[in-house]
Parts: sequence; C-alpha cells; structure tokens
Amino acid sequence: MLSIRRSVSAFVAVAIGVTLVAAATLLLASGRPQVPDRLARAAVVVQSPEAGASPDSFVPTRPWSATTTAKLVGRLAALPGVAAAVPDRTFYAQPLVDGRPAGTDGRREDAHQGHGWASARLGGLRLTAGEPPRRPGEVVVDRALGLRPGVPVTLLTAAGPQAYTVTGLVDGPGVHVADEVAATLAPGVRAIGLVLAAGADPERVATAARGIVGADGSVLTGDARGALEPRNDARTRWIGMQVLTATAALAGFVTVFVVASTFAFTVAQRRRELGLLRAVGATGRQVRRMVYGEALVVGAAGGIAGLLVGGGLAPLLGRLLVDTGFEPSTFKVGYEHWPVALSLVAGPVISLLAVWSASRRAARVRPLEALRDAAVEQRPIGRLRIATGALLVAVGGALSVGTATAGEARVAAQYALYAVMALVAGATVLAPAVVGPLVRMLRWPVRRPGGAIGMLVRAGVSTATRRTASIAAPVLLTVAFAVLVAGMVRTTTAAYAAGRADNVNAGWIVVPDRAPGLSDQAVAATRGTALLPTTVYESDPNSPPANRPLTALGVDPAGFAAANRALTVVAGSLNDLSGDDTVVLPASANRQPAEPYALVFADGESVSLRVVAVVTDDSIPGDLLLPRSVVRAHDPSALTSTVYVEDRIDPPIGARIVDVPGWAAEADRAEDRLVWLFTLLLIAVSAGYGAVAVANTLLMAAAGRVADLRLIRLAGATRRQVIWLVTAESALVVLIGALLGGAVAFVGLLSIRAGLAEQAGVPVDLVLPWSVVGGVVGLCLLLAVLASALPTWRSLRPGPARSPVGIVG
Amino acid sequence: MTTHTVTLTGLRAVYGTGTRRVTALDGVTTGFASGTFTAVMGPSGSGKSTLLHCAAGLDRPAEGTVTIDGTRLDDLGEDELTRLRRDRIGFVFQAFNLVTTLTTAQNVELPLRLAGRRPPARDVAAALDAVGLADRAGHRPGELSGGEQQRVAVARALITRPAVVFADEPTGALDSAASRQVLRLLRALVDDQGQTVVMVTHDPAAAAYADRVLLLADGRVVDEMDGEITAAVVAARIAEREARPSEHAAAPAGPSC
Repeated sequence: MLSIRRSVSAFVAVAIGVTLVAAATLLLASGRPQVPDRLARAAVVVQSPEAGASPDSFVPTRPWSATTTAKLVGRLAALPGVAAAVPDRTFYAQPLVDGRPAGTDGRREDAHQGHGWASARLGGLRLTAGEPPRRPGEVVVDRALGLRPGVPVTLLTAAGPQAYTVTGLVDGPGVHVADEVAATLAPGVRAIGLVLAAGADPERVATAARGIVGADGSVLTGDARGALEPRNDARTRWIGMQVLTATAALAGFVTVFVVASTFAFTVAQRRRELGLLRAVGATGRQVRRMVYGEALVVGAAGGIAGLLVGGGLAPLLGRLLVDTGFEPSTFKVGYEHWPVALSLVAGPVISLLAVWSASRRAARVRPLEALRDAAVEQRPIGRLRIATGALLVAVGGALSVGTATAGEARVAAQYALYAVMALVAGATVLAPAVVGPLVRMLRWPVRRPGGAIGMLVRAGVSTATRRTASIAAPVLLTVAFAVLVAGMVRTTTAAYAAGRADNVNAGWIVVPDRAPGLSDQAVAATRGTALLPTTVYESDPNSPPANRPLTALGVDPAGFAAANRALTVVAGSLNDLSGDDTVVLPASANRQPAEPYALVFADGESVSLRVVAVVTDDSIPGDLLLPRSVVRAHDPSALTSTVYVEDRIDPPIGARIVDVPGWAAEADRAEDRLVWLFTLLLIAVSAGYGAVAVANTLLMAAAGRVADLRLIRLAGATRRQVIWLVTAESALVVLIGALLGGAVAFVGLLSIRAGLAEQAGVPVDLVLPWSVVGGVVGLCLLLAVLASALPTWRSLRPGPARSPVGIVG
Repeated sequence: MTTHTVTLTGLRAVYGTGTRRVTALDGVTTGFASGTFTAVMGPSGSGKSTLLHCAAGLDRPAEGTVTIDGTRLDDLGEDELTRLRRDRIGFVFQAFNLVTTLTTAQNVELPLRLAGRRPPARDVAAALDAVGLADRAGHRPGELSGGEQQRVAVARALITRPAVVFADEPTGALDSAASRQVLRLLRALVDDQGQTVVMVTHDPAAAAYADRVLLLADGRVVDEMDGEITAAVVAARIAEREARPSEHAAAPAGPSC
C-alpha cells in the first residue's frame, strides 16, 4: 500500500527535522566544560566556595582571603602524595605590542590574564627561552607575541600601563610574574592546584583534601575540574546550549506541523483509494492502522536518514558555532549515545504525532467515495476543528495579555513564544474557514482583471479550501514566526537602549576598546565620572543562600549623582559615601541608614560597612554603591567599565569615546549580536522548513491536478495560460498564508510592546525587520512558484489530446 | 419456493435539503432470489445506483429495510456493516477500482487479508483461473487491459464466497468484446455455482444475460421482466415506457451516481 512516490514528501520532511534534532542534540551533548589547560597538570584542584547564585549567572566563586589561602596551602602541601600545593592567582594584565593591546585572540580570556610564575607548573608550561621572573618588574610572556627575553614590555594593568622586562618565554597564553607580585595584584585566591607525587592516587588525595577544606570550598578531580573553566567560556557555552535547545525544539515542533500537513494532503489525495479499501471490507480502524503503519515506516526511514546526515553535519556546525561565538574555542564534537537514541526515536514519534489527525480523517472516508470522481471538496471544516481552533486562539490571546502584563522580561518573552505557538496552531486549524472570505476580500479590489485565468484562480483557491489551507499553513507558520521573533528581538533591543539612554545625563561616554576595561590611569586622564564594578559577596544568615554575589559599583558620589538622571535617594545622603566603610543600598535590600552591612570582597576579606543612603531600586545600574577607593583597595584588578564625560575628549590607550545613544545601543552589543544571530538562525531553520513544506505540498498537488489542467487546456487555454494559472494560484495561496501569519504575529508583537513600555517607562517603538520578513515571504513565494510551474510545464509537454480523465463513464 | 438472498422493503432514499432535495428511491420493495442473475435498469437519475448501494450496505436508506442472508442491515453498526460486506457481499465497480500498487493476486486476496485471514495460494490461483487470468497473478493493474482488470475485480468479489455479488455498470468502461467476456463470466457463476448476482446497467445487451430485469424510473420499480430475455425485448420495453407519459411529475435530475 506504501507508495514510494507519495511518501517522498513526508520522508524528506521527517529527515530534515531529524537532521536538525540529531545535529543539535549531538552538539548539546558535546558541550561539556573543559578542564582549562592552565590547570591540566593539577590532578586535584581545590576550589573556593560557590557563589550562591543561579548557575546561569556565571559569577566567579567567593575567593579565599590571603590568610585563609596561606593556611590551606600549608595544610594541603603536607598531605601524603602531594608534591606541591599552588595557589592559582589570576589578575588583569595585557601586554602592549607596538603600543596597542596584543590581540592574539580577543575572545580568549586567558590572553589578557596574568598569573604567578608558580601557576605555570599547574599547566605544565615550558619555558622555551630565558629565565623565570624573580623580581618585581620581570615578566614571562607567551612566545606567540614575538618578543625576546631582555626587551622591555608595557603591561596594561588595572592601575594603568606598567613597564616590565621580559625575562623568558613560555608556550602558552597569558603573562607570568613573580609570585610575590602576583600576591599583591591578586590577593584573593579561587583555586589551589595540587601537583601529585608520582604514583599517588588522585581520589585518595582528594578525600584527604576534603577533610581539610570542609565547607570552605570543594575538591575536584578528573573531568569535574571543568568547573574551573573561564566564566566567559561557561557563559558562551550556556548561550550555545540555549541556541541548540531552541533549534532542536523548534525543529521538532515545525516538523510535526509540516509532516502533519503532508500526511493530511496525502490522505485527501487518496480518498478514492481509501474508499475502495472500505468498500472491499476494511474497517475504519484498519484504514487508520494502515495510515499509522505507513507513517511509522516513513518516520523510521526518515529518522535514520536524518540521523546519518545530522551526525555528518555536527562537526561542521560545531566549527561554525565556535566561529560565531556560540561555543567557546575549547568546544569539541563528540558522539554520545543519548542523542543517537533520541534521534532514532524522534523520527517515528514525530511521524505518529503528525499523522494523528490525518488518520482520523482517513478512517472517516466512506466506502461510497470509491465510486465518486468528485474532486470538489465538500464540508470544508468540521465542528471539532472549529472548536479546537477557537480554543487555541483564545489561549493565545490570553497568553498575549499575559505577555503585556508580565513583570519580568524573561517571563514575558516566554509568554510571547507560547502565545504565538498557540495563535499559529489556532490559525492553521482555522485556516480552511478563513480562506474563503479572505480570497473574496482579496479579489474585491481587483474584480475585473484576470479574465478567465483570474476566474479559475479564484474559484480554485476558494473552492478547494482544504488544499489551499494545507499549502498556506506552512507559510503562515513561517511568516508568523519570523515576524514575531525578529520583531520581538528588535523591539526589545530598541526598548532597552531607549531606557538606558534615558537614564544617563552626560554628553559622551568613554568605554574600553579591545580591552576588558579601563585602567585607573586612563580614567584619571578623562577627568570624568567613572563606574568601577566589582563582585562582592553577601552572607546574611537570615536570608539564604550564603555567598550571594552582588555587583558593587565604585563611584565618586557627586559625579555619579550628576550623571545619573534616574537617581532617587530615599533616605540618608549620597554625599556621605566616602571613607573606607560606607555603602549605598537600594530600597529592596531592606536596610536603614547607619545600619551595619558586611560584605566579602574580591580579596577574600570580610568587611563591615555602614549604610549611608538608600536609593530606589532602578536608580543604579548595579546592586550597591561603594566609594571608588574602597573597591580599588579590595580588588586590585577591578577595571572601569564606563566613564561619563561632559565634552568630547581624546580617548586614552585602550579606550574609545561614544555619544549616549550610541553607547546605549551598543551597551549589550556583543550579546545583542549573539541574540540576533541566534534569531536569524531560528528564522532560517523555520523559513527553510516552511518553504520546503510549501514546495512539497505543491508538488504533490500538481500530480493530482494534471487531469484538471488538461481539461482546461482542452477548453482552449494555451500552455502559457495554464502555467500562468498555477503560478498565480500558488502566489495567491502564499500571500494568504503570509497575511494570516503576519496578522497573528502582529497581535503578539503589540502585546509585547505594551509589556515593554510598562517596564521601561518610556514609549516603545515597534521595530519590524522588513528585510527578514520580505526574505521569508520571498523564499516561500519563489519555491512555491517553482514547485507549481515546473511540474505543470513538464506534465503538459506532450500533446493535450490524451484522454483527460482516464475513464469516461 | 424460492429463497431470497436479498430482500428490500419500502426503501426510500433522499439526498440534499430544501429546494435541492432529490428523492432517489421512492418506496422500493423487491427481492433477489438465490442463484439468479438480476439486471437493474433505468434512465439516468432513476435511482438504480442508489438501489444497488443501499442493497450492498454502502449507503443507508432513509426508510425501509435491507435483509441480506437473514441479517437486517439497519441493525448493524458501521464496523459490523463493514464486516458483513467483507464476508457476505462481493462488489464489482464500473471503474474496476483495483489498488494500483498491488499485484493481481494481492488485489484478489485483499478482502480476506483485511478480514485477518491469509488465503492459501491455491485458492487465489483458483479464483484467478476461474476468471481466466491464471497467468496474470504477478502483474499490476496498469499492465492489464480493461477487460482483464474487470475480471480481476470479479475474482476479488468472489474470493470470500459471498452470498451475493453486486455489479455497478461492470461493462460501462469496456469495449464490446471485453464486455461479453465479463458478462459470460457472471452468467457462468450463476449457472455453475448458483451465485446470486445483481447488476446495474443501462445496456439492453448486457441485461439480456440476466434471468430477470427490473426497470426503475423516478425511484420506483415500474416494470419487471423474466423468462426469455433478449436485448431487443428489453430495448422495446424501455422505449415503450419512455413514450408513455410518466404518472409522476418529471423529477429533477437525480444524483448520477
């Protein structure tokens, strides 16, 4: 019963879907934290206590203070089997080559990190020339920089450019200074590496180490040391994971849709055959089982094909993800078991889900239909279908309202996505009911033109509403998705930028250029108001979790108050933010002025501070304010992120100057770029899919319409007229789908805009990326026209004299 | 006394609603005796196809009952009806209606396979042999002539040893030579195996193979012939009826199914 020709469409759709799912899950499974090269030789690593924050915030662990570090190192080094216990100190140090920051690989965090020379032992770094650093002012650098031992080099540090002399070269990234120098630049320590004696068992050492460290840290061995990977890598990987998860989920969702419409179409085309089976004695259930069986075979075959293609593509995609910044450079593709198993199951499951509704319809085919030639469809839409569609639209509407009123952006975005899924599904289900009126509406302004062809097109599209709907459905889905997601991302980005720019009261802003931040010297040169961010940890026994990380901003109170338009003081006075023990808190911290407030700083020291002022929560772009000097004292590697200046100045080394709207727009530029790439990727996946689905359905439809078209040809139409007819028909159907999809997405976007405007407190413009929308519709249109014109052209090539219907009764 | 394999009592069938309402059958009561060959004739829209569909359980009448082999069809649910059709009724269509992806032999055994039985190969071979197509078992419908396809359809209708075979214009799509073959085959079934056959046709020459002819007009049985039936007699009787004005107002054109 299984016809290869008929199953090709569903097979292709399933195969593409499983390809995406397989590639995405293989990549997902491969994205595991890598043990940093720098710690590769330390079989056991002791890590400082985790920060009490959600794992997707990528805050570094709470460091140990100098005294704790010294105590731990002493006791760990004494353990049997431990050859050496080395505290790993990391600070900001970026060598300047030819007066500019050396950009060997800008994204690699370790390229602008400095360490103590002892750390070289943890990574097994080899000194390829010269000697280790022994005194202040001596440094060992990466030989890839092209410097020789003995030459002077300028290191950009948090204080400013510093003169050093190269004493040696190593075969790895980063700079290494004498251990005493490292201890002053990085007083807080987050990891102690244990180099084991030959033959020592890491697990036994780890157990002993756990006894020493207790609750004051964790002991890691083997792959678990991946937890020590650079936080930026972890973050990048997390973003990649989101991308892959979303791609896999979207691919699954879209595949079910596309395959469902393919099956629906196959069943509609086979009514006669199914009716015949019913007439010779097949029960409804048998017909249904047959349709399921076919779907299972097609799904399994498509799944295996997809798995093979996806497995082959995974390494290529992996490289692409690294290049675009969705995965860290340490990312490698491996072949795990579970993605393979998942992909194998995905094909049949997707197929069976998709065929569900088609099988119901197939089982309802009446035996008499074998005797009818009727190609005109009757009863375009069932009551159950209308009810389902109405329910979905109602749910989508309710979720849209939820989007508009949600408090948090992330929640709102989720609501929006679900809302659109529901609306799209609803619109697809209702499409046959809407097609007729929509065609009438579309033809109203162009009642006259078109002549006979116009008449045939309109009649065809509005009579065969099921066919029209099943071709329009993928277009609807694709366009709705593209418009909504692209519009949402663009509108959100614009809204946040508008909100940010609105808060700042300054002429220009100095930001880092090819460096992670600005040094003190650079800040001093600008004479502006600087923000010096650092991470501090709060451990309030009354409010868990312990070690809650907070972003503290070191500021000069007068300048900050002048530059920050949103600042509203609730209690106390900002001017008292001075000395070495004061802090300004937001209202949500629930503290009053003069209350004590203890924090652990980047150097691991716990300091008791005094609250001098309370401001509203949206006053400050961080969690609390400290005097700039306090931040500097406790975090020698803290770098300034932003300097507000009144007038345009020449930016110092490693900095550039931008105006406020420019700054607001680019503040999250790296992230926005990733998000936009991600968006385009998702749109490309769904658009490609939608277009394939449209082409698929049209190709199948073309086969069934040959007889019809021959009749039209016999009635006197030229070949060109017939081709023009099918082309116009497809174009009209694509247009209908695009209109419906656009309308659905527009509803979603309006509710998102309302939500954003409420949050940002400023009017938000709806930004629609017309190029993306145009591209998506154009792609569908192009494939639709090709898929209908080409087979028609081929099938009409022989003379039209053959029997038009096959059987003359 | 003759036993009736199929009994129709007061059959009424109506299509459409309102002004488009068409009465296809208007109270038909008749029976088809076991081991006889009946031809149902009548002009387009006379209700002859509807009669056949109702009698075969493919369609349900608005009123009246159909009894096949002692079973009242109106008592049956959709699945039971399907099973009854599968086991007790054979059907031959005008347009052959073979499944194009199956071979001749597979087409023939399809009804039994649907019933969950696997017929022995020799039964299938015998069925094909009976219609003179023993050498065509492995061919697909596309490789057969129209007459051959129709004979495959007859073999398929017979494979379940049905109580009655209904044939809807079985020669409508065939040339006269192929038509004669198929009709002789049906005749032989009745004569040799005592099969009950009911055939709808509008060809008097085809009706001449039957033992009895029912003439339908406007949904009613208006004439009946049995005994010695020839094409000339049938044609004459039809012409006679058409010349005489109907006692009913002219009904609108019914469904041409």
